[in-house]
Amino acid sequence: MARVLRCFLATALVALLWTASIRAHHAFAAEYDVKKPVTLSGRLTKIEWTNPHVRFYMNVKDETGRITEWEFTMGAVNGLLRRGWKTSMLKPDDSVTVDGYLARDGSHLANARVVTLSDGRKMSGGTMPDAPGN
Amino acid sequence: MRTVPLLATLLLAPASLAAQWLNHPAAGVPRHADGSPNLNAPAPRAADGKPDLAGIWRPERNQKCPADGCPDNQMSEQFLDLGWGLRGGLPYQPWAAALVKQRSEQSGTNDPTSHCFPGGIVRLHTYPTFNKIIQTPGLIVILSEREVTYRQIFLDGRPLPTDPLPTWKGYSVGHWDGDTLLVESSGFRNDGIWLDRKGSPLTDAATITERFRRVNYGRMEVQVTVNDPKAYTAPFTVVLNEFIETETELMDFVCLEINKDAPELIGK
Repeated sequence: MARVLRCFLATALVALLWTASIRAHHAFAAEYDVKKPVTLSGRLTKIEWTNPHVRFYMNVKDETGRITEWEFTMGAVNGLLRRGWKTSMLKPDDSVTVDGYLARDGSHLANARVVTLSDGRKMSGGTMPDAPGN
Repeated sequence: MRTVPLLATLLLAPASLAAQWLNHPAAGVPRHADGSPNLNAPAPRAADGKPDLAGIWRPERNQKCPADGCPDNQMSEQFLDLGWGLRGGLPYQPWAAALVKQRSEQSGTNDPTSHCFPGGIVRLHTYPTFNKIIQTPGLIVILSEREVTYRQIFLDGRPLPTDPLPTWKGYSVGHWDGDTLLVESSGFRNDGIWLDRKGSPLTDAATITERFRRVNYGRMEVQVTVNDPKAYTAPFTVVLNEFIETETELMDFVCLEINKDAPELIGK
């Protein structure tokens, strides 16, 4: 019971901290919903190293086998490169997993908080709500 | 056969070197024996004996990290709320308080910087992109990664313009007051300039006074006084810190490259 309570309190604390919800270019909460976390895996189709946000696109297969292309955003180019990203880390056809948050508009768009690369490395997308990317 | 790896090295070298600008050590930096920069060394002096503010600067990162760590960029609390360190916050006029409340409730959806407009001179002290100061005796230029813009501070004795065309950054003149660079600015646009993500406004009635003091090699304190009687009931002063970046270079942040966010910003 104590373990469940600790887990609940930890989750509540994270949720509380995330209410600050902010990124540099725009407020996280203006575009994404922190109450809708999502984990998606698939194959990359396109990568755009552009500002204000790096974007990549990924084909995701659902349980019925249907494939949908999702779009993901990360931080700005300079911020990501300074945090260890290299443009060569994402290539079309790479298999990656994304942990992030769904867009408020209900489209196949999400922010990418953590990207697990095909070699297993976990990279921060620079868009975590409370510790913003730029 | 030894020529093969040598040729390979030579062929790869240009690409490798080009990539090094993100990790480019600045010249003249005081360093410890292990090569790391000595950020507590005294502030350097320019050839004319004045404190030398030149270098690449980034805003303070004093925002609290979430419970599971801080892997991303932290930013300045004053980026979110310029009045963060002030008891009672900024002294808004009633209309300004109502506007800030509305802007906050909309999650800053209409923040001009989110739509790729300039941030204004106060925001450049808190926006997490980097600024580079170039200093000469008569002119200080601040290059900003954000929107790839410039700011000029004239130290040649000219007065502020009396009937200026209002601009995002206004007009800035300065002089040295001992080891402090004192800068006066006016001529701002009447709308479109937010002082923080909350949406604290600035109007064309504003004058801004900045006091730049390089405390040591690594830190610069910028005391900012905003006197804008249209939007605030009294002048207020905030202290912002900036820190030197000695091992990198500026990198463009051209917001309009592909700003798909604008139509996606729907607030609630």
